[in-house]
Amino acid sequence: MKFFHYLLKIDRRIIYLIVGLLVMLPLIKPLGLGVSSGPRAKALFDAIDAVPAGKTILISVDFDPSSMPELYPMLTAVMRHAFAKNLKVLLCGLWVTGAGLADRAATEIPPEFGKKYGEDVVYLGWKAGIDAVILGMGENIKNVFPVDYNGRPLDSMPMMNTVKQLRDIPIVFAISAGTPGYQDWLLYAQSRYGMRVGAGMTAVSAADAYPYLQSGQLTGMLAGMKGGAEYEVLVQKAGYSKAYMPAVAAMDSQSLAHIVILILVIIGNIAYFVTRKRGA
Amino acid sequence: MKRSIPLAICLIMGITMMIQFFVPHPASVAFFELTAKWVRIIGAFALVLGTGSLVMYHIDKIQRRRTGWYYSIVTLIAAVITTVIGLGWGIKSGSIFQNVIFSNLMVPLNASMFAILAFYMASAAYRAFRARTKEAALLLVAAFIVMLGMVPIGAHVPFFWFMVVVNVALLVVGLVNRSKALLIGAGALVVGLLAWLGFSGFKVPQLMLPDTAEWVLSVPNMAAKRAIQFGVALGGIATALKVILGIERGWLGGGKQ
Repeated sequence: MKFFHYLLKIDRRIIYLIVGLLVMLPLIKPLGLGVSSGPRAKALFDAIDAVPAGKTILISVDFDPSSMPELYPMLTAVMRHAFAKNLKVLLCGLWVTGAGLADRAATEIPPEFGKKYGEDVVYLGWKAGIDAVILGMGENIKNVFPVDYNGRPLDSMPMMNTVKQLRDIPIVFAISAGTPGYQDWLLYAQSRYGMRVGAGMTAVSAADAYPYLQSGQLTGMLAGMKGGAEYEVLVQKAGYSKAYMPAVAAMDSQSLAHIVILILVIIGNIAYFVTRKRGA
Repeated sequence: MKRSIPLAICLIMGITMMIQFFVPHPASVAFFELTAKWVRIIGAFALVLGTGSLVMYHIDKIQRRRTGWYYSIVTLIAAVITTVIGLGWGIKSGSIFQNVIFSNLMVPLNASMFAILAFYMASAAYRAFRARTKEAALLLVAAFIVMLGMVPIGAHVPFFWFMVVVNVALLVVGLVNRSKALLIGAGALVVGLLAWLGFSGFKVPQLMLPDTAEWVLSVPNMAAKRAIQFGVALGGIATALKVILGIERGWLGGGKQ
């Protein structure tokens, strides 16, 4: 009986220690559980794979550093896929705090494929206005972003000669940690300009996206770190990239973290029901 | 006058923009581009107002020595340093802002803050996630399915065996608590599992937890979400009409007529 009472009042620092150890161990020594790709990630992969070479895809980086470990891997995976397929990548963001993340991706990934800034990739940066920014880009991108993130005029970039407005872009992939995010792209870019929209989001907000998937408004979805891992696996299986897969590497840790939470909930419930019964 | 002019602008622009959406004429598109510019400019002004409001709030907090006033000093210092570095040396790739403030301060601090959530969630789930009622038990089972189904290890767990474990748990808790409802539930689950086994030719069905998690998200979750979204959308339309027609005037703030 005392044991169950002890379980109910267990020091939270012991729980923190268990969680910390179980998250760290697989990062040091991977368990190799493997990641299989689900239909949502495959749908997005196929949609981007079907874009003809030379066309431009838009990636909206709508997250900040707090969600970076979960969402940044999907940004790099989709960019690698696009460059391997000889697609051009236009980056923008609706979150001011995420502006630096897109810049990092625009700097790090293109050289892996010998791609050049201005010819194969352009980062527009961030502008205030959210919906007005999307609607404005629908009419004329250069009106909203006369210069890129680094202050260079868009007119001086060869890539921007073929991309004038959203209708010139076959698909947008919006990676969102909340609002504004993929829903704004659906509301304005899709409903008004007919763009296909794929979405990446934190695992906790994935449940909100299902109605859009079933209605066909969302072309595909990457949910949380697992979504990123699934896309990394798809890109690597297709032979597009051999780069390190950070999301895949972290999935063992996430598996163990989920299991430890489930075990803790089970133990907590057993202790609760036993002590309640004895108490009654 | 102070209220009637904004109300008139709202009414005229609201109706005009509604009509504009359905008119693809170049004049209509040009008008739309113009208004989109206005919105972005107003958005930029809102940023200035927001910054001003933030600074005033924290200065007031420091002056009045309210709880945690020293954190306000940190906020103001950080705001000033960020602004000075951003305006002075720019925010381009490779700048001090990008390399020091963003990459080496903001990224690790924000990521650490978010990472700490995992520890709090584990502790909170342990203490609060109890199957006290039928609804809570159902939520618990659904949470288990989705949590395991969303990580790679779930792909190695057959749904059938998962439900056998759930059934044993129901049985044990039902017996310990002498709860008829739980025992009836466990009995019904046994019948269901045996019937499923029978239909599968007495071979354990190959349905894995990720498939079940996908079903939970695609069917019951989606039905609930869709209902909520319909409600929110209808509410949004009603509120927008009330604002355009001047029935809802909360956005005007206080002040005299």
